[in-house]
Amino acid sequence: MKILVIEDNIELLKDIKNFLEEQGNICEIATDYKSAFMKAVIFPYDILVVDITLPDGTGLDIIKEVKKENIDVGIIIISAKNAIGDKVNGLEIGADDYLTKPFYMAELNARIKALYRRKAYKGSKEIIFNEIKIRPDNHEVFINDRLMNLTKKEFDILHFFVANRNRLLTKEAIAEHLWGDHIEMADSFNFIYTHLANLRKKITKFGGRDYIKSIYSVGYKFSD
Amino acid sequence: MNLVTKTNKYYLIFFIFLFPLMVAADYFLIQYVVNKEVDDILKHESERISFNLKENETFPSSNYIFSTTPVTEDFPVSNKYRDTLIYEAYADKLMPYRMYEFTALIDAQKMKISLKHVLLDMNELIVWLFVTTTLVILLLVTGLFFINQGIYRWAWKPFFENLSKLTNYDITKKNPVNLETSNISEFKELNRIVTALMNQVKKDFQNLKEFNENISHEIQTPLAIIRNKMVLLLESQDLKEKELHWVQAVYQEANKLSKIGKSLTLISRIENQEFTRLDSVDISVIVDNIIGNMEEMIAFKNLEITVKLNPVKVKCDQILANILFTNLIKNAVQHNLEGGYIEILLNEEKFEIVNTGKISEIETEQLFKRFQRGNKETESLGLGLAINQKICEMYGFLLDYSLQSGKHKLSLYFNN
Repeated sequence: MKILVIEDNIELLKDIKNFLEEQGNICEIATDYKSAFMKAVIFPYDILVVDITLPDGTGLDIIKEVKKENIDVGIIIISAKNAIGDKVNGLEIGADDYLTKPFYMAELNARIKALYRRKAYKGSKEIIFNEIKIRPDNHEVFINDRLMNLTKKEFDILHFFVANRNRLLTKEAIAEHLWGDHIEMADSFNFIYTHLANLRKKITKFGGRDYIKSIYSVGYKFSD
Repeated sequence: MNLVTKTNKYYLIFFIFLFPLMVAADYFLIQYVVNKEVDDILKHESERISFNLKENETFPSSNYIFSTTPVTEDFPVSNKYRDTLIYEAYADKLMPYRMYEFTALIDAQKMKISLKHVLLDMNELIVWLFVTTTLVILLLVTGLFFINQGIYRWAWKPFFENLSKLTNYDITKKNPVNLETSNISEFKELNRIVTALMNQVKKDFQNLKEFNENISHEIQTPLAIIRNKMVLLLESQDLKEKELHWVQAVYQEANKLSKIGKSLTLISRIENQEFTRLDSVDISVIVDNIIGNMEEMIAFKNLEITVKLNPVKVKCDQILANILFTNLIKNAVQHNLEGGYIEILLNEEKFEIVNTGKISEIETEQLFKRFQRGNKETESLGLGLAINQKICEMYGFLLDYSLQSGKHKLSLYFNN
């Protein structure tokens, strides 16, 4: 898919661009309001990733303009402001999702994919990875076409892994994905470990391969 | 002691000291004046007698004569005043008299003539002086008391109004204080200084607040970059064991920093009253969701959980309510013992959570301050309870912690 990332911090912009391109997307960038506005209106994108605070304007205005022009595009706000007000405003004027800085790349990636799926396929598309098939909207997972019973958290982890295949997912990123922002759980890494153990057991029982690899002690990677 | 009582007290002390002084001064003054007058009368009388003797060579009649005594030629007495007591038969008592003695020639015989004049009864004088002085002082005291009361009520009125306005002043609220004006120059000066002081404090507070906010959100983008680079480094896979630990440590600390920043931002946003929505929030639904979300953690720790929820609607911000109850329930899970239990109760009056757990080392009051942790070995930041406290302050909820036979009990009373 084609993504425009609007962000005034060059380093962060580079990170996002690299990450998204490695996922096989076409990623264009803009660092200020003017060029962002030009690109967003002229070229067709699937997803806009918009930072609220820009040197010469606000990302909210870009969203308003895009909506005024009736451009069909998924919009994700990224903001350091952590203001619930901003979030509500952003979602009210037509943004689809909101991420607070600092976010995990894997989280941004998962959100972009989910949004794209909702937009382009109206959510009906299945995610397929070798013998694993995921139907996100029904919370269903099939291994070799056999429906596998998973708990909600197990499903979330698997979905998150498949969306970020071949990438290192740190335990912190997984914990935040599962339990949200405001939870600081000392034990959460243990829970992740337990969930993964159960998930592995279930997948192998259904004849699937174990794709989850532990990377050092910092996290996990889902890959062939 | 307030101003008027204090002033009255000093007036009273002053009059108590003044009273004997006034009585004594009056006493001696009156005595002096009366004696002088009597002396003048006696002197005048003696001169009249002397004159008559010399010119008419007769001894005049006089009411003042006490005695005439012949004396020898060299008798030294001349022109002497003295006080004495003379028995008066008609009153049957001794009475004070002033005496004046002089010598004169009567029929060529030198005579000592004593004149007398009755004096005031001093005891009576003192009594009357006492009575009148007391009366005067009482009048003064009551007069001053009422004048004082009046001044206190009218002239100090703007002062007291300003005082109550300043008492209710809250620096976090935006509404300014309008001080009462007064035509008394001291109060004008006070108003001027207080206003200047308030403006300064407000400015400083504002600066500090903005600084805090800016810091806590300006660090977020650099932190995001640090984290991303660390993940890239970890993904590069050719790290030595030692380097891996370093990178991991940087990654974890950056995470911690980011969480601190987010929590502090949240606290300052609550303080800034940025959560103005008053949704009618069903607490039982929220609590139920949170418990559902933590189900696996609860199962993982083998916790026995009993939940008694009655539907309770509270007017507050949905997001804050979620944060508040998540924190409370999360704490009960996190600080619990393996195989312990949690008891949750919700009704119209309160939300109550009782759980087993390690005994906290810090005092209850400390517990709600920032960066305080019950036991130091856990990874938590200690900001959760401070956030809870802020949310509760905002909605007037009362948060109460107690330790009952080794069980932690947190009660949250809704404001009704």
